[in-house]
Amino acid sequence: MSESTQLGSQLVDLCSVLLLLSCFAIVAQRRLSACVDLFALQSFFLATTAALVAFLTGHRHIYLAAALTVVIKVIVLPRILRKVIERLNVSRELVMNINIPAGLLICGGLVVVAFFITQPIIPLGYLLTRDSLALALAIILIGLFTMIARKKAVTQMVGFLVMENGVFLGTTAAAYGMPLIVELGVFFDVLVAGLIAGIYTHRLQDAFDSVDTSELTVLKE
Amino acid sequence: MKTDVQVMLQIGFVVMQLIMLLALSPFIVGVIRKVNARLQCRRGASLLQPYADLAKLFDKQPVISSTTSWIFTAAPYIVFASTVAAGLLMPVFISHTPLNFAGNIIALVYLLALGTFFLILAGLDAGSAFGGMGSSREAIVATLAEPAMILSILAIALTAGSTNLSTIVHQSALLEGMVLAPPAHLMALAAMFIVTLAETGRVPVDNPATHLELTMIHEAMLLEYSGRYLALMEWAAGIKLLVFLTLLVNVFAPWGIATEATPLALATGVAVYIVKVTGLAVIIGVIESMFAKLRLFRVPELLGSAFILALLALVFFYTLRG
Repeated sequence: MSESTQLGSQLVDLCSVLLLLSCFAIVAQRRLSACVDLFALQSFFLATTAALVAFLTGHRHIYLAAALTVVIKVIVLPRILRKVIERLNVSRELVMNINIPAGLLICGGLVVVAFFITQPIIPLGYLLTRDSLALALAIILIGLFTMIARKKAVTQMVGFLVMENGVFLGTTAAAYGMPLIVELGVFFDVLVAGLIAGIYTHRLQDAFDSVDTSELTVLKE
Repeated sequence: MKTDVQVMLQIGFVVMQLIMLLALSPFIVGVIRKVNARLQCRRGASLLQPYADLAKLFDKQPVISSTTSWIFTAAPYIVFASTVAAGLLMPVFISHTPLNFAGNIIALVYLLALGTFFLILAGLDAGSAFGGMGSSREAIVATLAEPAMILSILAIALTAGSTNLSTIVHQSALLEGMVLAPPAHLMALAAMFIVTLAETGRVPVDNPATHLELTMIHEAMLLEYSGRYLALMEWAAGIKLLVFLTLLVNVFAPWGIATEATPLALATGVAVYIVKVTGLAVIIGVIESMFAKLRLFRVPELLGSAFILALLALVFFYTLRG
């Protein structure tokens, strides 16, 4: 490996690590609006990583994906989520299924698991982004964990979006991104999912006067 | 004869380091107070005020409660001595500390822990409710901060391949013999910074300016002290702050430190060190003004994240090596 590609690979690693770091910040954050802001920040790091990969490899379509990430995940989706939060009667999540210190420890464990699983695969790769695969898997697992640990619909939505960020990072790491048409489809899906979840949260708020999804378990005809 | 000269030189370095630690620590405390005052639109006390406070306290006659044991009077000396000893083990302005044979980074951590232990005992000794409360809180913070600190230090020790602080600092200053792992360094730095805020009783964990009984930790343990004992405790707290700041700047950004014993390198080493430590003190002052103190039960969350960051630093060292 030459000097410059090694430097590039370390830069990509560093950007992906910042993504993972923002995941932990989301797990440790109680304020709903701060969770959304952190998600926007994470998406910005994702766009930076993608742009970096595009620059280092010369794959033009990744620039487009990075630009779409900025528009949809940094600007539009956080705006929708903030609108939803404005209507809620709670600003912070006090009761969770798993408390924050335990959650942080579990997420630390998830990172170790992700590294352990990807360890046999990574040396087979030849791309300069291959180390990010482990980080991407860790981000997906932490996103899933956030959806399990939190009770409020908004933070569960953030968890889902974090998982999506992880998938995007994973595809960039494993294959320099998906074909453009697939990428566009996924972005559209995420946007629509965000809109639907926003409307659904509004309905939840109207029906139960709370966005606690655990209330849905007592639904009756 | 040459060895005699070298021995004298080494002793000179130790004395110089000692004087720098003792003389600079009240200044750093003053800088943080000044930054806080300026950010609150006050003019604030002079940067030399902490020196005047110490001189005043040394002059006063101490009052000792009749219910206390020998631990109460011995603790200030033990706390002061262990903190200064920890400060002498680490590189300050020259990367090869003469005393580095005496102990590595783990010895440094546990010298500081020894000081904390006796501080806690002293808080309990007088039998006042506040002292006991402060001690129990300090024990919580210390036990939670220690694993994070040890793990982040181990992550750094791995990149340099040695637990000797002088080796770590020397190698990172010259950027040779290091395993370059920026993610590991970044994580360990973040963890170490949180630990610094917690261990030195800075704002998100403890408020050094308060005497409000519900919130204080460090001040509560010192309530019974007066006169020269209080002065020693306050001075030791200042030195401990300086020791942590020095660890941060010299382990994570050692560039500019003297790597050889020439007069020019030494002069730059001292100047760069003072600038870096003062800069970091300003950053801490700004952080203190930006954040509110955490509720005590939220402190484990903060230190838990520091622990996780340090753990990730270790994991990244093994997995992300470019």
